[in-house]
Amino acid sequence: MEYNLEIINLTKNYQDFHLEQINIKLPKGKIIGLIGENGSGKTTTIKSILNLMAYDKGSIKIFGKDSRFLTKKEREEIGVVLDDSFFSPILNVNDINKLMKDFYSNWNEKLYYDTIKKFKIPCNKPLKEFSSGMKMKIKVLCAIAHEPKLLILDEPTNGLDPIFRYDIIELFNDFVSNGENSILMTTHITSDLEHLADEVIFIDEGNIILDVPKEKIDNEYGIIELLEDNFTKVDKQDYIKSLKYKNEYYILVNSKDEFQKKYPKLEIRKPTLEELMLMLVKGE
Amino acid sequence: MNTIKGLLLKDLYVFRNFKNNFIFSIIMFIALITMGSLRNDIFTIGSILFLIFFGMNSISSFSYDENADSDKYLLSLPITRKDIVLAKYLFVFLNSFISILVGILTSFIITILVRGAVQNLGDSLRICFLAFTSVSFLMCSNVPCIYKWGVEKGRMQSVIIPALLVFVLGLFASLLLFLFPQIYLNFDLAYIFKISPYICLVLNILFYVISYSISYKIFLKKSI
Repeated sequence: MEYNLEIINLTKNYQDFHLEQINIKLPKGKIIGLIGENGSGKTTTIKSILNLMAYDKGSIKIFGKDSRFLTKKEREEIGVVLDDSFFSPILNVNDINKLMKDFYSNWNEKLYYDTIKKFKIPCNKPLKEFSSGMKMKIKVLCAIAHEPKLLILDEPTNGLDPIFRYDIIELFNDFVSNGENSILMTTHITSDLEHLADEVIFIDEGNIILDVPKEKIDNEYGIIELLEDNFTKVDKQDYIKSLKYKNEYYILVNSKDEFQKKYPKLEIRKPTLEELMLMLVKGE
Repeated sequence: MNTIKGLLLKDLYVFRNFKNNFIFSIIMFIALITMGSLRNDIFTIGSILFLIFFGMNSISSFSYDENADSDKYLLSLPITRKDIVLAKYLFVFLNSFISILVGILTSFIITILVRGAVQNLGDSLRICFLAFTSVSFLMCSNVPCIYKWGVEKGRMQSVIIPALLVFVLGLFASLLLFLFPQIYLNFDLAYIFKISPYICLVLNILFYVISYSISYKIFLKKSI
């Protein structure tokens, strides 16, 4: 299998935080969702990929080459959205187009302005007068208008209204549909990944605690809601985590068919990614 | 080359925001120089005023970058740390250079129109060049501080470090004169002043090369 991005044993030690042995392999044509709490290590991972900070151990390969030694031409094949960083808010859409034309030899001005028109973004207004959702639209557009092969997206749906979130999810699905392009995206809006991600990686306190294909979560993981009487009847070895919320117990299983065979009267439903995240972090 | 052009444009767009202030200030300066010229030849003062007022504005582009965390975004594009630092130094230099150039041209035209001629044009231009070198020294000692501590946190260091450098250089010169007093006796100030443009040229190159190297090393190691 060919990978657009490979992270092998990435380790970064801070005084009060350690990113431990992160391994991520992003094949061509796939989308990986990196989820986790604030401060779990998602941004450190993204920064390491983009060489914004040095890491202590491990290696990162983009298009099969050490990410630290990519040429400018190879870096033009990457599109990036960063949640907390962009051009000065004094700039407008036209200014950004002129700058990007200088930064990217393959900048597609037509695609840029066609999408600006589609998104109904005013061209002469400075960014500071836009809502956070509008700004995010421009950021996403800047990441795709040079037609990259790999998208690295840090919270790309932050601040977007549901309609545009839908549009952008469609746009990302189209992006990978050629089987060559890939996306690595972090998000705390896990619902966006429900219809988007091929693989979900859950990172907590610097460690990957879950790395599974989305299909497996849909087909094999399950959540069961129980009252205390029923909960005490379930063997601890038959579930991964349990969580008490108000008067109910929730248990998470990773082999729902086997569980169903053993407990045929209990109703199992598919967990949302948010529930999965909650169970894995807060559950016992 | 396109990357550097783009980075320079980015900083120039920030200046566009102060367009009205600039126009107002230029009109004010022209009025002041014209009124001053009616009594005395203020060609040199007028030129230096432009340099001081406009030549150090480039620091504000660092502020805008810092507020938008632009360096982080720029480094995620096909732009290297070297490009960013180089473009900043070019911007700082061009800003000071254009300021003194506009100052000299404006003051020259006004002085010619009001007084008919500029007195000691050669000497006046030498003084302008000395002033330009002083501003270069100030800017070149400020920029590494900004890369090290940021615009806000580095404010104090940006004042202390140039002052400290002047103090150390002064101390060194005093020590030299104390140890070798014959230097003072053979000191031909008029000759030094005559060749000052060449000395200034060398000093400007030195300031920019040394400052750029320091800033680049700082920025290279910096986690963004």
